[in-house]
Amino acid sequence: MNAIRRFGLLAVSTLAVVAVVLIGQLFPNTPAGELASVLDAGYAASALRLAVPIAFAALGGIFAERSGVINIGLEGLLIVGAFTGVAVAHWMIGESGASLGPGVVLLLVIAALLALAGAALDLLGDSRREMAIRGGGGVLATAVLAALTVALAGPTLAATWIAFYVAVLVSGAFSLLFAVVTIEYRADQVIAGLAVWLIALGAAPFASSVIWGSVNSPGVDTLGTWTVPLLSEIPTVGSVLFDAEPVVYFLLLATPVSWYVLAHTSFGYWVRASGQNPKALDTAGVDVRRVRYAAVLISGVFSGIGGAGLSLGRVGNFVGSGTTMVDGRGWIGITAMLFGNYNPFGAFGASLLFAALDALQFRLQQLNVAIPDSLIQSVPYVTVIVVLALVGRTRTPDAAGEHYEADED
Amino acid sequence: MNPDRLPDPIAGLLGRLVDASAGERLVVSVAALVTAILLGGVVTLVAGVFAECATPIFGPFCYNPLAVYRYLFLAPFFDSFILQETLKNSALLLFTGLAVAVSFRAGLFNIGTQGQLVLGALAAALAAVWVGPAAPSGPVGGALIAIVAMIAGAVVGGLYAAIPGALKAYADANEVITTIMLNFIASDVAFFLVSAYFQKPDSGSVETRDVPAAARFGPEIALAMAIALTLLITYVLWGTAFGYDLRTAGIQPEAADYAGVDAKRMIVTSMTLSGMIGGMGGAVWVLMSVGRWVNGVPSLGFDGITVSVLASNNPLGVLFAGPLFGSMQAGSLSIDFQLGVPRQLVGVIRGLVILLVAMPEFFRALGVRWNMGGSR
Repeated sequence: MNAIRRFGLLAVSTLAVVAVVLIGQLFPNTPAGELASVLDAGYAASALRLAVPIAFAALGGIFAERSGVINIGLEGLLIVGAFTGVAVAHWMIGESGASLGPGVVLLLVIAALLALAGAALDLLGDSRREMAIRGGGGVLATAVLAALTVALAGPTLAATWIAFYVAVLVSGAFSLLFAVVTIEYRADQVIAGLAVWLIALGAAPFASSVIWGSVNSPGVDTLGTWTVPLLSEIPTVGSVLFDAEPVVYFLLLATPVSWYVLAHTSFGYWVRASGQNPKALDTAGVDVRRVRYAAVLISGVFSGIGGAGLSLGRVGNFVGSGTTMVDGRGWIGITAMLFGNYNPFGAFGASLLFAALDALQFRLQQLNVAIPDSLIQSVPYVTVIVVLALVGRTRTPDAAGEHYEADED
Repeated sequence: MNPDRLPDPIAGLLGRLVDASAGERLVVSVAALVTAILLGGVVTLVAGVFAECATPIFGPFCYNPLAVYRYLFLAPFFDSFILQETLKNSALLLFTGLAVAVSFRAGLFNIGTQGQLVLGALAAALAAVWVGPAAPSGPVGGALIAIVAMIAGAVVGGLYAAIPGALKAYADANEVITTIMLNFIASDVAFFLVSAYFQKPDSGSVETRDVPAAARFGPEIALAMAIALTLLITYVLWGTAFGYDLRTAGIQPEAADYAGVDAKRMIVTSMTLSGMIGGMGGAVWVLMSVGRWVNGVPSLGFDGITVSVLASNNPLGVLFAGPLFGSMQAGSLSIDFQLGVPRQLVGVIRGLVILLVAMPEFFRALGVRWNMGGSR
């Protein structure tokens, strides 16, 4: 029933776009013609770019909720990622040119701290030996990543990349805090998620004011774009898919990988079981707590990529006024997750739909159409409500929102 | 003892005060608040390392948490401007805290108080401007305009909250997400309506005309209204059959359904009631604080969530939590002016309070550890 509605909605929206483009081609002087004139390769590229934070939040949300933890703090995690990226980049590059030393050290320190926290939470293994191997491996991998970045990119670009990694780590650390609160101390997941959002909503502008004297940051360098030789020469598709920002490639990679991990690996099986029937998973000898920690950590890491990609990807600054530059994208990501029925490909498609609307409102503003800007701006939010109303409740994992106590009998 | 059985709300209140779980919630709330304030102090101290200042308090630290808290909590008593702000904020937070509490009691997460307040405020401002010329002059006319404005705010806020209520009841749409989306939509729509139709002539910012001066009132009247409303809501929740149904629907929807409560209608009704209170808060913001609707409404709705959560969604608890956050909000102006510490610090503390109240297990574990240490 819901699946039919969902596909029906998707088909109708696709048909509408096709119809507008066709009518626009036939009658270029009508409103449809004007609308069609904005739907070009540049439009597709910007829709894909705008989908990045929404889709990463949605993918992260899928892992957390399928494991039984409803993470509605994704918006806050995006804010943390966006702010940390710019703050670290500004600190390392600043006015006086790039200085990699402190950034690399910071990266290693954060990785070591995360490894320690993970060990303390039993995430890394049972025996001390296992903890040491995995924790040390994590720090070593971080060091190699840092070294590789410095070797491959110039000092300034490498500094921006290291800022990106740090943002992802910090966002991950923040999600671990949420995991401790909900899994260890059995806090209400919705209230704790709200708290994560409100803390980030207060902390990012606060830190921004402390550092820069304003809730908005000064400009920093961006990650630039990656152009694939030859493939980018393909007409239309090439400029959209092969001449894009790095985070766009990450998204195109993360979606199928997430799907594969969830559907075809034992970890994915544990995540699904932890959300559907934690008792059975526990009986099978798998630590439900640990699976949930890992899933929430993934949601934090993905949100970190989405948030840092938002601030360091193209604009190169952090906006902390009002609802910050994240501006509800985490919430839209949650809707994309629901619309995509907890399937990574579905969530990606839904994110692209919302991002396309967002891109359209930017385009329409440039075109000076008769509809006022402030109303066009609300189109993506209205769409979210319409979609939720039509799709309604999706098949939430049975144990989502519930605490699991291994010791209970 | 079961306070639900007592017909007299006063007796019910007394029963609730000795109720063990209510006492425990009170302890958790106080402990959470104290912990959040301690953590906020650590945040302030650490943030001071990154700030630039002429004379650090010691070492690399620029901000002194003790001084911050002295200004945050004592400024209302030695600065008459801050005291006025405290009274105004407290009144507004009583409205929004109460609005959130009513929905949470019914088991609904109405995160949309902000949007309901924004549109309620706009309706109130427009109603006051529109009725103004027709009303008789003098205090009677002023009171009349104010009443019309309050009703307009309540009606529009209630209708706006009924949307997510109906979507939840009849389409099973998650109210957390719909209300947040409606917050974004409310500010866009209000901005559009004012800039296109109700713009104050020759004004640089997006705002409506001023409401008649006679209709404006001070924080004392707003506080009196808020307290009266709180007592009324307490009575409705614990003294009437409707309140009993509302709370049962919140705690045990299946039981309520079995007892013949129309769950769907209950959802819409509770959301509407919550939105009406939020809309009245918006009207008070217009009539008491600014005298017109102006773009950039403060985040009173979100602060209301903190107030309600700290009060464990108890209207009488809101009477304490509202003024507490009201004074902190006002004191944040003081730390900004006097110490150069960004006022957004209060936003961080707000989030920490919610996080800590959400984890009673943490304090229970702490309590067990300390008790064991003492009685060993």
